[in-house]
Amino acid sequence: MHDSHEHEHEFKIPLGPQHPALKEPENFSIALKGEKIMGVDIRLGYNHRGIEKACEERTFLQDVYLIERVCGICSHSHSSAYVQAVEEIAGLSVPRRALYIRTLIGELERVHSHFLWLGVAGHEIGFDTLLMYTWRDREIVMDLLAQLTGNRVNYGINTIGGVRRDITPEYGKDILAAIATLEERTKYYIQIATEETSIIKRLSGVGMISRQDAVRLGAVGPTARASGVDRDIRREDPYAAYAELDFNVITDDHCDVFGRTVVRLKELLESFKIIRQVVAKIPDGPIAVRAPRKIPAGEALSRYEAPRGEDVHYVKSNGGEKPERVKVRAPTLANIQTVKHMLRDRFLADMPIVIAAIDPCFSCTDRLVGVRHLDNHKRETLSWENLRLFSLGWHRARGFDVAIAEKKLHNLMEH
Amino acid sequence: MSYEEDIRQETVRRFDFLKDSFKIVRPRRLTLDVAYEKFSEVFDFLVHQGKFDILCAITGTDEGEDLGFIYHLAQESGVTLNLKTRVPKSHPVIQTITGVFPGAEIYEREIVDLFGAKVQGLRQGNRYPLTDDWPEDEHPLRKDWKPANGSGREM
Amino acid sequence: MSALFSILIYPGFLFLALFGLIAEFIDRKLYARMQNRQGPPWFQPLADFIKLLGKEDIVPDEANPRMFRLMPLFALTAVVSSIIYIPLWKTGALYSFSGDLVVVLYLLTLPTLAFFIGGWYSTSLYARIGSVRSLTQMFAYEVPLFMGLFSPALLADSWTLSEISQFYVDHPMYSFFNVLGFAISLIALLGKLEKAPFDIPEAETEIVAGTFTEYSGRLFAFFRLSIDIEMVVGASLLAAVFLPFGLSGDAVIGFLIYILKVLLVVFLLTLARTIFARMRIDQMVRFCWKYLVPLALVQLLAILLVKGVVL
Repeated sequence: MHDSHEHEHEFKIPLGPQHPALKEPENFSIALKGEKIMGVDIRLGYNHRGIEKACEERTFLQDVYLIERVCGICSHSHSSAYVQAVEEIAGLSVPRRALYIRTLIGELERVHSHFLWLGVAGHEIGFDTLLMYTWRDREIVMDLLAQLTGNRVNYGINTIGGVRRDITPEYGKDILAAIATLEERTKYYIQIATEETSIIKRLSGVGMISRQDAVRLGAVGPTARASGVDRDIRREDPYAAYAELDFNVITDDHCDVFGRTVVRLKELLESFKIIRQVVAKIPDGPIAVRAPRKIPAGEALSRYEAPRGEDVHYVKSNGGEKPERVKVRAPTLANIQTVKHMLRDRFLADMPIVIAAIDPCFSCTDRLVGVRHLDNHKRETLSWENLRLFSLGWHRARGFDVAIAEKKLHNLMEH
Repeated sequence: MSYEEDIRQETVRRFDFLKDSFKIVRPRRLTLDVAYEKFSEVFDFLVHQGKFDILCAITGTDEGEDLGFIYHLAQESGVTLNLKTRVPKSHPVIQTITGVFPGAEIYEREIVDLFGAKVQGLRQGNRYPLTDDWPEDEHPLRKDWKPANGSGREM
Repeated sequence: MSALFSILIYPGFLFLALFGLIAEFIDRKLYARMQNRQGPPWFQPLADFIKLLGKEDIVPDEANPRMFRLMPLFALTAVVSSIIYIPLWKTGALYSFSGDLVVVLYLLTLPTLAFFIGGWYSTSLYARIGSVRSLTQMFAYEVPLFMGLFSPALLADSWTLSEISQFYVDHPMYSFFNVLGFAISLIALLGKLEKAPFDIPEAETEIVAGTFTEYSGRLFAFFRLSIDIEMVVGASLLAAVFLPFGLSGDAVIGFLIYILKVLLVVFLLTLARTIFARMRIDQMVRFCWKYLVPLALVQLLAILLVKGVVL
């Protein structure tokens, strides 16, 4: 026994890679003394899927869809950051209407991400009612996104040179109606979060990080803004249509989890403001320009304010069809390093909410496919097998028979 | 004269040899190539006098005989600089910048794992992002590394 | 024969088990409806119980198998045996002797100790943290719970549950003096049942399932059942002492009123679970000693005054 007296009652407990508080595999090894955290050791990389390497083996266009799958929640952020970089290298001038549509989807994504976060935060402090309420309301924006893009997550709306789907004037009305409901709910949540004692007790003073430390450690997004760091890529390095829109950057100087909650909630109100402006100001015109298959040699760095913070993409082309290098820096990577600081001298019970407060990325799971028969309004759920049959039929009706294609492919492989 | 041009002038005044490599790509995007011998001097100047006090990321690249490193630095104003340098693969040693940016630790570990650079002064710690039993001499983001000719194990 | 009937069937094990499962269903359904969810069907707790019974019991290699297996049964026995001293739908309990209030409180402490020992001997880190929390929490809520329950006893001048309820049936207005004590006991009961905001020993996002992390199958089913029964017993105890209405009349009506009283307490517990976030253990201990205990003292003082002035 060489342990000093100080460490006599210390023991280590693992949080993760699999743990109810974490929605994504990560490992936090916590040294505890009673309920007090003495030290934290973070091990990341459980979710490393080699996407950067895989990008080098695919064409620029294929990479849009691969990059979109970096994260389930901020999928639009990643694909936007990537296509912006590629467009800059290729010197494409993207139609303004496309830029507005990107902004719109980006802000809707922020709304859905912040609602999701609020629910998770509620769950982490053992307040499941908040989780149930916010996730119920989040359905409104998810449905809206599904209506606009065809998908709830991984919208697939971006393409190099513009967007793939237009927004009709009728959608404008739906968007405004949804936003009106969400704004009212958001105000209710702001009231709950700032007035309900049992929530404030669990949030304020927890996970403190001073302005200096936040800057020093390179915190980004709401984590930084809640410590009074006035930074927002949408304002400083405007992309898409943000230069033409009016919004405020929300900051707060509580420096704790409470501040991060307030920042996110107030950002929702700003997002609603932006969405209304987009719907009102969206210009007419084409939604995409043709992009060449081969992107000229060059490089570009693209910065994007994702819901969780700054998302950085670097793309380098050597003049071929495939990129030479694609680098992705997701906001969580910048923020995770602040967690150690935030947990110093805190209690074990604060651990989940402190980790959740930087809003680490986690992937979304599948959903069932609901089919509504228009004639009799009956709702049914497709089984996997039926979904497959449906898909085969759908493609066959459009002149593409998967069975024949598979056979051809098989023959090709044999010779 | 634009703000970007100001920064360029000021830097070139201090380091004459950067005249040709300091380029303004577009508004708010600068790029600068610097030999590794001069790197720390230029880096310190840009960070402290040039007010590039935000580190966005560090990108590693495979440049054939060399390993390239791009330090993406930014100012509060939104001006972003790609500070590039390279070291030969035969001796891929760089100094850590965690003294200036403590948050760079994880970016440097990434370069260590994926490109096989050696970062001097980086404190002991868990590797990132590869698994603990990943072979030390295999670096997936180098161009000559292919999944097939890697360790040959089932991934 | 009749003793066996009353222990095993009514108001003993079978009745309590069914009532406990129904109370759990009501708790879950109300919780779900208040959260804008659908909630489980009525047989869900029973289905969960049966399903757990059919699962494999896994005892960790390093656990003490005897203690590990014994504790769920121990907890279940303690809560079931405490019901026989509590007057349910009439003023007299099944068995009664002088000072049985203390025995009931003691019996209701045993499940918590069983959780602690079970969690401790399962040797998992999460379970150990959970069991230590469970014990820490017990020291915080037991005192206000005891003090809250002693105030009606003091006013009735008896430590016997049957006599206490008889006293309030005779003087129904006096029970209004105990409103504060009722509130205190209700909050302390939340702690005893380890329900939110005091579900700290099994805080899912921190320590997985806390005390019960290593429990599975039949043993876990018994632990869950004993918590359900503890909820019913605790609610019955509060009902008998603080809500002495409808005890004197017809047995059927008395029984219905008893059920309603228990469900009212369950509803109040669910409401607290819905509207509060989980506290931290330090906040919980501080809350109990700083607010609940002084309030309980105020209650006792008020009772003494009432006794001095009115009686």
